[in-house]
Amino acid sequence: MSGSGRTQTAPPARAFPERLTQVVALAIAGAALAGALLASREIPPQAVRSETPQPIFFPRVEIVRPALLGFVGLAADLTWIRTVQYFGSRIEGKERFPQLYQLVDMTTSLDPHFLDAYQYGALFLTIARQYPNAIAIYRKGIAANPSAWQLPHDLGRLYFLELQDYQQALHWWEITDRLPGRPHYIPRFLIRLQAKVGRLETALELWQQMFRQSENEAVREIARREIQKLREEMQRTQAGNPSR
Amino acid sequence: MRRVLTIAQMAFTETVRDKILYSILVFALAMIGSSTILVTLSVGGEGRIVKDLGLACITLFGLFISVFIGINLVSREIERRTIFSLLSKPVRRAEFLVGKFLGLGLTLAVNLGIMAAGLMVLAWALEDHWTPRILLAVGFTFVELLVLTATAILFSTFSTPTLSAIYTLLVFVIGRLSADLMAFAAQFGGASLRATAVGLYYLLPNLSRFNVSGAVVNDLPLDAGTLALTAIYGVLYAAAVLAVAVAVFQRRDFR
Repeated sequence: MSGSGRTQTAPPARAFPERLTQVVALAIAGAALAGALLASREIPPQAVRSETPQPIFFPRVEIVRPALLGFVGLAADLTWIRTVQYFGSRIEGKERFPQLYQLVDMTTSLDPHFLDAYQYGALFLTIARQYPNAIAIYRKGIAANPSAWQLPHDLGRLYFLELQDYQQALHWWEITDRLPGRPHYIPRFLIRLQAKVGRLETALELWQQMFRQSENEAVREIARREIQKLREEMQRTQAGNPSR
Repeated sequence: MRRVLTIAQMAFTETVRDKILYSILVFALAMIGSSTILVTLSVGGEGRIVKDLGLACITLFGLFISVFIGINLVSREIERRTIFSLLSKPVRRAEFLVGKFLGLGLTLAVNLGIMAAGLMVLAWALEDHWTPRILLAVGFTFVELLVLTATAILFSTFSTPTLSAIYTLLVFVIGRLSADLMAFAAQFGGASLRATAVGLYYLLPNLSRFNVSGAVVNDLPLDAGTLALTAIYGVLYAAAVLAVAVAVFQRRDFR
């Protein structure tokens, strides 16, 4: 071969088939892509997304936790987003929420310090009228975050507004009152609740204390009015029950 | 020491010229930025979603930098035969390895700094206040990555780049699982399995110790003494692994 001394180069005739191959390949690519797009347009919507809500599989947190390699916070966030989407997608259709509690429970088990998940999760459960589940979530959050005033505060609100259990509301707002950062209105709420559950003398004493201690004129005015009301109520009670 | 610093500087220059570094960094910043999309899907917890995702990205992309650049630092010198000219100069093998380690450490520090700055600005834009504790979490991620960089360098002194990458990633997984490994062995294993688990627990790095993201994101208190001990543990562990790497590298025949 090398005996002739000529160098071997590709014959120029090969250049054309190579270019032709490129053109054919591009033509096939274009045709295939167009075909794929057309096929995807023809796929009926139900094949893409099922209309029937699919049940969500819940693995045990103890099993999932090691597999997360320490990224539990991120997993909790993603589960929480799934919870919000689950709640949001069903609330418009007035559907029930059979797996809402499990989702909130999973989120808060992955990250027991995720306060928003407790607060909003329990609120979603309250809206879904799953009161025992909402209470369970609040209690779980309070056990894991004993210094967070938001959770006993919201639990007190649930008892007060939804269940009209004033004794329980009083109990949880008393706990809220002892926690740092609690809202300024909690003492006033407490005193009103004392009156509502029949502890008129305690309520009167607390309002009087607030009247004496407060430097805010508006608060003093509220306290003055409440003292007046309580005194009238106590007089009425005594008049209706002369034996006491 | 001057020679070590010169090699470190060269390693830093070499790594910052590596295109893979920029692709990792750009992708990491894009991922951190994408958390703002996730936030729109949530009700509550917006700030923590950004921080959680951001810190996870910083850890994972930092891991990619330390593994994929760390394994090539030594092997590339051997492959290109540049190690012969380097070691023919009055440079000890130990100085060569320590210099490479410090150079990559500096690269990691710069990259983690850029990602942390991006995350802090994003968190500030969302919450309207600065979260300096993010720097604490990133600082401990840095110590964790130093341990993994030393591990990657150790493997690259006697193995191929691909195997070194696999081994280092396995060390990351086992290191993050080591506490669970202990608990698992205590619960289910027999005496021999328990002894193996205890041995592995102390031999392998306990990387879960460096993960303070949960406490940072949830604004939980952290004990300064524990943090200091954790940092000391990380630095000493990295030094120990690097010392083993030097011992292995010392015996390596380049023919």
